Amino acid sequence: MKKTIDEKILDEANSWIKANHKVALVTVIKTWGSSPRQVGSKMIVNEKGDFSGSVSGGCVESSVIEESLQLIKGNMQFKKMELKVSNENAWEVGLACGGEITIYLEIIN
Amino acid sequence: MKKQLLEQILIKKKHKEEFALITNILTGESFIFEKNKNIEKNFEKYSDEINNYFNNKQNGIIENTDIFIDTYLRPIKVIIVGAVHITQYLLDYAKDLNFEIFIIDPRGYFASEKRFPNMNIINKWPIEAFEEIKTDSSSALIALTHDPKIDDPALKQALKNKFFYIGALGSKTTHLNRCKRLKEAGFKEEEINSIHGPIGIKLGGKSAPEIALSIIAQLVSETYKS
Repeated sequence: MKKTIDEKILDEANSWIKANHKVALVTVIKTWGSSPRQVGSKMIVNEKGDFSGSVSGGCVESSVIEESLQLIKGNMQFKKMELKVSNENAWEVGLACGGEITIYLEIIN
Repeated sequence: MKKQLLEQILIKKKHKEEFALITNILTGESFIFEKNKNIEKNFEKYSDEINNYFNNKQNGIIENTDIFIDTYLRPIKVIIVGAVHITQYLLDYAKDLNFEIFIIDPRGYFASEKRFPNMNIINKWPIEAFEEIKTDSSSALIALTHDPKIDDPALKQALKNKFFYIGALGSKTTHLNRCKRLKEAGFKEEEINSIHGPIGIKLGGKSAPEIALSIIAQLVSETYKS
């Protein structure tokens, strides 16, 4: 198998770190249903809430940024998070396509 | 993840190595896995599964564990023959894709550093140039000079090495003549038919950027077929 994508996110993460930003790396580790981005997709977030890359098609990124900011401010180094579409939060977060994803957030330090 | 680990990953990517990042999502530990190298102690018991995932070039969590495997694949080698106008646009479109590109053109005016800054340009005839690139069945060829003197030797090399994608620019007539020459040179009909000629998917456009787009689209689509 070959693949034609090359995530440049890690290069960007490295340049953010060199610019003294605090960086959280978020990786899609599991998907169910018709999730828009495949396992291994990445996104980075810094202490200001700037982000690059994606873990969905834009559906859950806002809440992922908030989680990342909490991780950056707190004492934890990493965290696993499941994002599902449920009736309560479908308005705010959730994959419109009906997919579910598990993501892994970690601080690069 | 440690900063040092990130740097190691980037160096390995730069050197076009194939490896996997293994993470225990319960403990936050991670290490770089490479074929035929020792597995870090805390991950030893998952050795078989890790190797399995890696050999199948798969990403994912090993079933019933907390071990996540993120495989990094070597880029696909794409050889472009002809440092022409279309080539400049091909590079634009390909820059965010997992391709390692080599440009071959024996014509000095074409294969200049100024036209193609920071690229692998080989200013030699294809037969000599191919000696400098290690190719196999996971390589691709895009022949763009439509000059038989330059394109034909490259096409022959690509056919012999069973490239997964071979495309050649030129009109239907140019391509028919090309096929005739390859047949005379002893290539089988099915080999010759594997060449995408005229190159590219049908978009309708005839300008350099549009042709480049149609070529890249065809190359990506063939990548996922093979």
